[in-house]
Amino acid sequence: MSVLVDDDLWSAVGDPTRRRMIDRLLADGSGTATSLAEQIPVTRQAIAKHLAVLDRVGLVHGAAAGRERRYRVDEARLARAVAQLNAVGDAWDSRMERIKRIAETIQQTTETKE
Amino acid sequence: MEYASIEREIRIEAAPAVVFEVVSSPEHLKQWWADEAEFAPVAGDSGRIGFHQDGGAVAWERFTVVDAQPPRLFSFRWTHADGEEAAPGNSFLVVFELEPEGAGTILRMTETGFRERGWSEAVAAQHHADHVSGWDFFLPRLPAVAEKAAR
Repeated sequence: MSVLVDDDLWSAVGDPTRRRMIDRLLADGSGTATSLAEQIPVTRQAIAKHLAVLDRVGLVHGAAAGRERRYRVDEARLARAVAQLNAVGDAWDSRMERIKRIAETIQQTTETKE
Repeated sequence: MEYASIEREIRIEAAPAVVFEVVSSPEHLKQWWADEAEFAPVAGDSGRIGFHQDGGAVAWERFTVVDAQPPRLFSFRWTHADGEEAAPGNSFLVVFELEPEGAGTILRMTETGFRERGWSEAVAAQHHADHVSGWDFFLPRLPAVAEKAAR
């Protein structure tokens, strides 16, 4: 998978409205621009645009259903996006633990001296 | 969950002044993050931090202090390109906020800039910035840190 795709994936999940749409699709199993617009305070046109972005990066897949397209979340793709985010989060967990340990060691050493 | 930022909070049994020193001084930053650190922890100072690579080379990243208000706030931007001023869109912003709680400190960290810069850069930064992560790196250094602090 190219780096460029990952960039797009990141921007795709970086938007709060799109994340809310993903949440709704996960909860309901599937949805259309119309059904999502009923649950999220955004116009149907805006929802359709967001769906196109999510579809382009592969986070959702649409299939023709009557006059509308019905979308489902690609859970494997979503899991991949979340795993990448967690990698950066884990790095900060380690750094914060080290900061804590260093500061507490200094504090204890200072108190022992006094 | 805000995917465009990373937020962490930890309680530390040390005074805010001590914690501020640890998060902001280049000497300590080398103990919890980078292998090399060259900057002055004052607002506006621009320096660099470095990560040792296999074969002895050092990968340098720009590091610009945005704000330093001891003992409650320290923020910096990093990974902006050479020749560019650190600004939203070309770097990651890390903000440390310190709040006293009893004899200890609540330390909050927020890193933002991922959405603006794109994911691949975030992953790249994380990869070479944290080839050392965890206790196998830190524990051997701990006695030295304590000794230095006791001097």
